Amino acid sequence: MTRRTWVRLDNASTMFLAARSDADPKVFRMTAEMDHDVDPGVLQQALDATFDRYPLYRAVLRRGVFWYYLQDSDLRPTVVAETQHTCAPIYQADERTLLFRVVHHRRRINLEVFHALSDGTGALWFLTDLVTEYVSLRFPDDPAVRAASGRHGAAEEGGIETVDGRRDEVRHELEADSFTRYFRTREPAAGDASPRSRGLGRFIGASTEKTLTVRGTRTPDNRTRVVELTMSAADVLALARAEGVSLTSYLTALFFQSVRAAEENADAVNTLGVSIPVNLRQLFPSTSARNFFTTVRLEHAYGRGDDDLGAVCRDLDAQLRAQTTEEALGERVRRFIRFERMIVLRIVPSPIKNLLLGLLNRASNRGLTVAISNLGNIRLPEPAASHTTRMLFHVSAVRPQFCSVSYAGRLTISFTSPFTETGHVREFARFLSARGIPVAVSAARVTEEELSAMAPTGEGESR
Amino acid sequence: MKRCAACEVEIEGTWATCPLCGTRTEGEGVPDPVPAVPLEFSRRRVLAMLFFASLAVIVASLAAQLLFNRGDDGVGVLRSIWLGVVALWLVVMMAVRKRRNVAKGTAYLVILLGGVSAYWDYLTGWNGWSLSYAVPATCACSIVAVLIAVRVMHTEVGEHIVYSWMTAVLGLVPVVFLALGWVRHPVVSIVCGVLSVIALAVQLASLRETRHELAKRLHL
Repeated sequence: MTRRTWVRLDNASTMFLAARSDADPKVFRMTAEMDHDVDPGVLQQALDATFDRYPLYRAVLRRGVFWYYLQDSDLRPTVVAETQHTCAPIYQADERTLLFRVVHHRRRINLEVFHALSDGTGALWFLTDLVTEYVSLRFPDDPAVRAASGRHGAAEEGGIETVDGRRDEVRHELEADSFTRYFRTREPAAGDASPRSRGLGRFIGASTEKTLTVRGTRTPDNRTRVVELTMSAADVLALARAEGVSLTSYLTALFFQSVRAAEENADAVNTLGVSIPVNLRQLFPSTSARNFFTTVRLEHAYGRGDDDLGAVCRDLDAQLRAQTTEEALGERVRRFIRFERMIVLRIVPSPIKNLLLGLLNRASNRGLTVAISNLGNIRLPEPAASHTTRMLFHVSAVRPQFCSVSYAGRLTISFTSPFTETGHVREFARFLSARGIPVAVSAARVTEEELSAMAPTGEGESR
Repeated sequence: MKRCAACEVEIEGTWATCPLCGTRTEGEGVPDPVPAVPLEFSRRRVLAMLFFASLAVIVASLAAQLLFNRGDDGVGVLRSIWLGVVALWLVVMMAVRKRRNVAKGTAYLVILLGGVSAYWDYLTGWNGWSLSYAVPATCACSIVAVLIAVRVMHTEVGEHIVYSWMTAVLGLVPVVFLALGWVRHPVVSIVCGVLSVIALAVQLASLRETRHELAKRLHL
C-alpha cells in the first residue's frame, strides 16, 4: 500500500479558509472565450490530458488538528455545463471533492478554482494548457496545431502580475509552497532593524483612518454579482499613459471615483482603501502553481487637496511602487510568516485558529472599500491563441471588486460584488464611454426581476 | 448588439433594460455569453416565509391558551413557560423586522408587550400585575430608550418624530389606568407619567418639524 502524498496548506491559503462565507466562498473563475461553441466531449478529453500533468489539481483539502492539509486523491474531474451560478462554493467541510471545476457555456471555457488551492497565475497555467490541448484536439488539421506540436508555455508581461514563461516540462506537483522555499531561513540576527509586528493593526496594515465601506442589497441567493466590461486595451492604456501611471493605478483611481459617485454617503467618509494582490513569482521565481502572492493596501483620502482623477492615480501609483519593491514585499511576507510561525498560534487547534484568522480578516476588511486584481497582459501559445477571442477572470467578493486582464488587444474588466447594485460599474463604464472608448457590457442575471424578464423568451437554458 | 443610450455602451445578450442603469435598451439582442441561472432560493422569500410561519405559531399559541382554564389550576407553570417563549419569540421577530428604524421598532414593541402582558395576566387569573408593573415599566423604558437611541444614532428628525411622540403619549396610558382605579400599586405608573411629561416637553421643542412631518404623512 502506498501512502498518499500530503502537504500542509501554506499561509496565504489558510486565510481563504478562515475568510470564506456564504456570500464569498473564495472561488475565482478564469474564462477563455473561443471562436466557436465549445465541444464538451473534446473538452473532457483535453481536461483528462491536462489533469495528468497537474498533480496539484488532484488534491483534496482535509483538516488536521492544527492545520489544513492538501492530500492526493484518485478523483477525476468532469466538465459540466453551466447550471450553477458563477463561483458557487467548491470546498464544503467534510466533503472530499476536487478543489476546482471546469464549466462550459456556449463559447466559454471556465475554470473555477477554490482559492486555497491556487492563485490566478497558477490557474492561468492550467487554463492555458487546457485550452491548448482542447484546440489541438478540436482542430487537428489546423496548421497552427501542427506547428505547435505539443509545446506548452504561457508567457505574459505588463501589469503587476507577471509570469515568466520558462515552464516547459514542468509538472505542477503537490509540493511545498514557495513561501516555505523562499522564506524558510531565519533572518540574520545582525542588524535586526526589521520592525516586529506590534498588534493586529500593524500586521494587517490597516489604516488609522475610518475607511468607506460599501453597503447594499445582498443578492437573493448569495450568488456573486458579475458585470464584465470589454474594451480596447490600447485605448485605456493611452489614458493611463497620459497621466503617467500604470494601468493598475489608473483603473484603481477610476474605481475609487466611480464608487464615490455611486455611493450616497460617500461624503461622510472620505478615505477609500483598496487591496491589490501582488504576484511574488516576479521577484522570487517559482513554478509552483500553489498560492504565491501577497496583498498590498493603498488608500486615498478625499477632500484634502487635489482630488481629480490624475492626482488620485499618481498618489496611488506612488504608494504602489513603494510597496512593491523587493525589500518591501519580502519584509511583508516575512512578517506574515513570522506571525504564522508564532508558537502560540501553532499549537492552537485549527477551529480556533480559523476563528482568530476570521476576526483578523474582518478587521482588515474594515479598512477596505474595494479590491482589484490585474493579471496583466496575457499571451496564449499557439494553437490556443488562434481560436481564443477573449480572456476574462473574476473572483467571488465580499466587497466591490474588479479583476482585469488583457488579451489580444482587448481589456476585460470583470466587476464582482456581493450586492445587486451596479451603480459603480455604471459610473465606470460611463466615464470610459464619455472619453470615446467603446465599451461592451455583459452581465449575469441575479435578481428575481432580471431572471423573470428572461423567462418568456425561454432562452435561459442551453445545452 | 443591444445598446444603452444613457450609458453609451453595447450590451451582450438579450437584456431588455440596461444592467447598469435600467434604461430600456435599443437594437437586436445577441446570444448571451453567460447563462441565466435560476435562483437557488430567494433570501426575501425565505425571510417572508419564516416571518409568517412564526406569526402563525405565535398567534396559534396565544389562542390555544383559551382552551385551558384560567388561573393556576389550568396548565400551571407550563403556561408561563409557553407564554414566555412565545413572547420572547414575538419580541425578537419584531425587533429584527423593525431594526432599521429603532424609534419605530420601540413603539411597536411597547404595544406588543403591553398587549401580551395584559393577556397573560388575564389568563393567569387577573392579578393586576400587568397594569401595575409590566405596562408602565415597558412604557417608561421605551420613552428613555427612544430619547437616547435617536440621539446616539443620529436619527433624522423626520424618521423618528412620529414614534417619539407615540412613546411619549403611550406613557400617559398607565396614568389613565391609574385614574380609572385599575392599578393597585401606583409607583411605577407615576414614574412613567413623569417621564412621559418630560418627553412631551422635549418633543414640544421640535413642534414645527412635527407639524411638517404630520402634514406630509396625512397629505390627501
